Amino acid sequence: MVILREGICPGVNEEFIKALQSEDIKTVEDFVSCNPEELAQKCSLSYKALVAVRRVLLAQYTAFPVSGADLYEELLSSTAILSTGNPSLDKLLDSGLYTGEITELAGSPGSGKTQVCFSVAVNISHQLKQTVFYIDTKGGMCANRLLQMLQSKTPNMEEQMEALQKIKVLRVFDVFSLLACLQNLRSNGLQKASVGGGSVKALMVDSVSAVLSSMLGGKQNEGMSLLMQVAGELKMIAKDFNIAVLVTNHVTKDGNGHLKAGLGQSWSHGPRTRVLLQRIEGAGTSSLRTATLTKSSRQITGFEERNDLIMDK
Amino acid sequence: MHRTVPSLPLAPSVKVKLINAGFQVASDLIDMRPLQLCKEVGISQQEAVEVLQMLRDDGQPHQQRAATESLTALDLLHQEQALGSIVTFCSALDDALGGGLPVGKTTEICGAPGVGKTQLCMQLAVDVQIPVCFGGLGGKALYIDTEGSFLVQRVADMAEAAVQHCTLLAEDTEQRQALEELTVEKILSNIFLVRCHDYVELLAEVYLLPDFLSEHPEVRLVVIDSIAFPFRHDFEDLSQRTRLLNGLAQQLIQLATQHSVAVVLTNQMTTRVSNGQSKLVPALGESWGHAATQRLILHWEGLRRLASLYKSPSQMEATIQYQITVQGFRDAPDEPRPTPATSAVSSPSGNHSKHPRMEDRS
Repeated sequence: MVILREGICPGVNEEFIKALQSEDIKTVEDFVSCNPEELAQKCSLSYKALVAVRRVLLAQYTAFPVSGADLYEELLSSTAILSTGNPSLDKLLDSGLYTGEITELAGSPGSGKTQVCFSVAVNISHQLKQTVFYIDTKGGMCANRLLQMLQSKTPNMEEQMEALQKIKVLRVFDVFSLLACLQNLRSNGLQKASVGGGSVKALMVDSVSAVLSSMLGGKQNEGMSLLMQVAGELKMIAKDFNIAVLVTNHVTKDGNGHLKAGLGQSWSHGPRTRVLLQRIEGAGTSSLRTATLTKSSRQITGFEERNDLIMDK
Repeated sequence: MHRTVPSLPLAPSVKVKLINAGFQVASDLIDMRPLQLCKEVGISQQEAVEVLQMLRDDGQPHQQRAATESLTALDLLHQEQALGSIVTFCSALDDALGGGLPVGKTTEICGAPGVGKTQLCMQLAVDVQIPVCFGGLGGKALYIDTEGSFLVQRVADMAEAAVQHCTLLAEDTEQRQALEELTVEKILSNIFLVRCHDYVELLAEVYLLPDFLSEHPEVRLVVIDSIAFPFRHDFEDLSQRTRLLNGLAQQLIQLATQHSVAVVLTNQMTTRVSNGQSKLVPALGESWGHAATQRLILHWEGLRRLASLYKSPSQMEATIQYQITVQGFRDAPDEPRPTPATSAVSSPSGNHSKHPRMEDRS
């Protein structure tokens, strides 16, 4: 809903707006849905002027349909698949993280979500030499660990430092700061980062549930709205800038006692692909984990892969 | 200003009215006067002033910087190296933790009664004050006690042991000078103690912490012993408890990052029955497990005390043995089976044990 203000298009001045407001027409939608003939009679404004303004506003604010073939062409040319650096995880994700989509990792504490995010970030910044944005909401970002992972990939110090410089970390701890951060990235942050050479190819949010779970439930009525806003912002960033978005989520138990990803049904429509990470029971303090594909538009779900998350040691 | 109105931190009722009046983006609002806003939207004068104030604060360089400034991982690496960590005087544990308890992160210590959580917390409150020239942080500590288990006499014993340890290590003049100032009285005076009796007091205290930490920038450690106790008694609404705890966790990690302090939380254990078997798991629920950055679980194995690093972003999982002595939290001796003589615990102020000691049995 866009408010009618003077200067919104030629011909709309203050008396025009006042005349419309007396008929309770405040936004572009109200204006465009009214019949110009009736309006001309009620507001004593010229019919020609009303029709002219109407045409300009319609042209400015309508959405344009795109043909399926064009969409397909665009998809082929702009989508990239980013490898996670872990071959069995790649197999699960149908060769890796797709740009333009949100991928979600869910798991109980200590299941390895942050480690997978680190390994993806290191892979993208070192192997693919692209910039990565990492939004940390839990304090889990540990640059030392990133350095450790880089050191196992290459002994060259300069390469390590270069890769570290391509990972940009933002630390926000509540949902409003997260929204501010995402909106800022969308409006100018991402463009600024790509100007400096090396385009941004991935955005990670670890974790999305830490900031949202305290706002949901009980007598609070804002939680769902904020959750959908976060999902919307992430999707828009993924689509508009051709970025792969990776988010982490906590787990809850469903009716049968099985683990499922948190944040509920509404959030589940945000990510295109969802993976559940679990420790292997009875394995003591081993580093093996299972990754199960729980939602995918490309593969059969229920795929399970066992992998050792400390492969790069 | 690219903020959309629904994403602003305002009361939901005010936001609904703003959206109904047609304001979509923060930049629509920025040029309005309070009276104008009041009339157009239908909110009270007070609310209009608050809305405009919030927008103006948001536009401040300081606030904008917080949300928009990104550090590269390289800068973060330098920062982490500068922050350091707090030693526990148990070298096996320090190695497992990568040097000690990290500053700028939250660590949760879970354990059954009597295994040594409060002892470790008191040890950390002393260790954070070790002067910089000895490799410590030279900072102060804030101890929030919810159980009433803080014993000054015990801390005094630990402080004395720490001073003696440093005296043995002192080599050059700088260290000897620092040692002159390091007395038991000084160590005790640098621990700020707060006693909270229920969860409301605890929440209020955490709410006031940012101001406290800004006034006392030398504080490097905040201990909450324990965070489970006020939340496990008389709490009918479990989902409200989960929400409160999640909010608390976020506030604490924000404090830890912004003021460069190490936050240590103690948690209790509860029994989980599954498939006819019972297991000891950390209390406060499944989702609380995500709250702390690192999780250390202290447990018994026969007569040995073990510490397991269960969750950490940078260290491998490990289990090490430790013991509690007169001097405090220390390494376990290198013997295959600890005999009663070496694992003795005695404190001049009496036996405060929760677990039967060898002397009691023999």
